[in-house]
Amino acid sequence: MPLLQVTNLRKSYGKHTSVDGISFEIEQGRCVALLGPNGAGKTTTLRMLAGLLQPTSGAISFDGSHPGMDYRRALGYLPQAPAFYGWMSGMEYVTFAAKLSGSGSKEAASMAATAIERVGLTQDARRRIGGYSGGMKQRLGLAQALVHRPRLLLLDEPVSALDPLGRREVMELLRDIREETTVLFSTHVLHDAEEICDDIILMNRGLIAEQGALSQLRSKYSLPVIRMRTEKNDGALKWLETLASKPFIVEARLSGDGAVFNVSDVEVARRSILQEAASLDIPLLQFEAGSSTLEDLFMKVVGA
Amino acid sequence: MKSVWVFYQKEMLELLRSYKLLWIPVVFIILGIMQPLTTYYMPEILKASGNVPPGLLEGYVIPGAATVMAQALGQYGSMGMLVLALATMNSLSGERYSGTVEMVLVRPLTPATLVIAKWAALLTLLMIALGLGAIAAGYYIEQLIGSLSWSTVLAAASIYGLWLLCAVSMTLLFSAFLRAPVAAFLGLLLTAGLALAHSLLPSWLDWTPAALPDLSAQVLLQAGSVSLVGPCLSAGILILICMGGASLLIRRNILPN
Ligand SMILES: Nc1ncnc2c1ncn2[C@@H]1O[C@H](COP(=O)(O)OP(=O)(O)OP(=O)(O)O)[C@@H](O)[C@H]1O
Ligand SMILES: [Mg+2]
Repeated sequence: MPLLQVTNLRKSYGKHTSVDGISFEIEQGRCVALLGPNGAGKTTTLRMLAGLLQPTSGAISFDGSHPGMDYRRALGYLPQAPAFYGWMSGMEYVTFAAKLSGSGSKEAASMAATAIERVGLTQDARRRIGGYSGGMKQRLGLAQALVHRPRLLLLDEPVSALDPLGRREVMELLRDIREETTVLFSTHVLHDAEEICDDIILMNRGLIAEQGALSQLRSKYSLPVIRMRTEKNDGALKWLETLASKPFIVEARLSGDGAVFNVSDVEVARRSILQEAASLDIPLLQFEAGSSTLEDLFMKVVGA
Repeated sequence: MKSVWVFYQKEMLELLRSYKLLWIPVVFIILGIMQPLTTYYMPEILKASGNVPPGLLEGYVIPGAATVMAQALGQYGSMGMLVLALATMNSLSGERYSGTVEMVLVRPLTPATLVIAKWAALLTLLMIALGLGAIAAGYYIEQLIGSLSWSTVLAAASIYGLWLLCAVSMTLLFSAFLRAPVAAFLGLLLTAGLALAHSLLPSWLDWTPAALPDLSAQVLLQAGSVSLVGPCLSAGILILICMGGASLLIRRNILPN
């Protein structure tokens, strides 16, 4: 039985639909990335899952329970822009969070100390949050999301606002955390998802464009592909356009002086393209035959 | 219920660390002391300012202790109320606009928990400020003017406090869905409107909370029996409506856009 089952979830604001009927499941123990460009509906989806936003329609079922049951006790949540009480210390905040999730004072204090240590804030635990850096706040956000040992962690772009170093730190933390609990985190960077996740849900404009296990998606989308770049001259660019209508080309994407072709048969395509380029004297800069990656899939979905 | 207590503790700590628990009682104490001092030293003050028409001071009698106490409490109806509204206006709207409420309400507690805890913290602040203010005023009145019945002072201050609590509750309601300054403005406007309506039509509106300030003065002056049931009941209902409304509205306005 999946830990979380989402069916036909929709959210619309007036005429504008932010999330347009998405369905997915999350298995216990998995790390799932909710991947999508700006405005895809990631935050809206996570807020509905966290119970902060009432869905327009659709059902969310946690651990096989009836949709509509309150499962917030089992939930840890980190919003896209976490806001804390600046006058509290980090330790005070995490203790407060643990108490609100139902722990007694003693228990809350020890759980908070564990969580703070976990995210590496022990040194600064007694300082006012108002004086924390962005990276420290993000780690504090993780600590408050983790403190009550939730069964499902919802993290909204946990690394987007960080510099490369902070990003590295938080990614390492996530890699650790995912060993213990089920994680759903949103990101607009495919690389983050590939680094630590088992599954991805690729969203665009409120819809799920593709979902599944990373390994499956990788093989599914590893299609033969040819990438080319020519010098920027009209003849060459025209030629790239004419190539698009060749029978061995399944799909073509042109961008400036480059092109990516999904092809049915690499051998045939390579021979024919290179011969033509030679006979027409096309100034080729780059020619690469290989297989497509998830990056290509992502760019295709986002660009479409 | 436990989370009400947890949140209440957080609110009190916030009032303490933001110094509200200090400066608001100080304002109330100063307001309370001003009344007996100015009353007692009025002749001196006037003399010091020079050119007083002769004969004016002969007619000056210092009012009775109870009257001065009633006037002191009356001070809280304007300045005191303004200070309380300013202290209240941010309590829900600040949490909404900064985003802190989003992180609180994903935890297993209801919006009503939050509202009750905030209201209770504001009530605590009100009681401390008004209590200390009334004690300070009473002390100076006893020193300068005459003795007071402290049980009557307690009753009168409580009645006045209920009126202030109505204003605080209305401001809290508005701060659940509006920006802080607007919430304070509307809270004060509504309170002033009620008070004005009562002063224009006292016999029609003597059952409303707006009758409470007058009743408080009557209790002090021991002007016959006063009927408190109507105003107290309506004040209670008003407060409950404000809290219920705030809980419903904050649920819809967790996210400030
Ligand atoms: N309160 C709202 N009222 C109207 N439209 C909204 C509201 N909240 C979100 N939207 C719209 O819903 C769409 C999805 O927004 P959402 O914040 O979920 O995107 P996102 O995937 O999280 O993007 P980002 O990567 O920028 O955080 C956007 O087009 C946004 O304009
Ligand atoms: Mg977002």
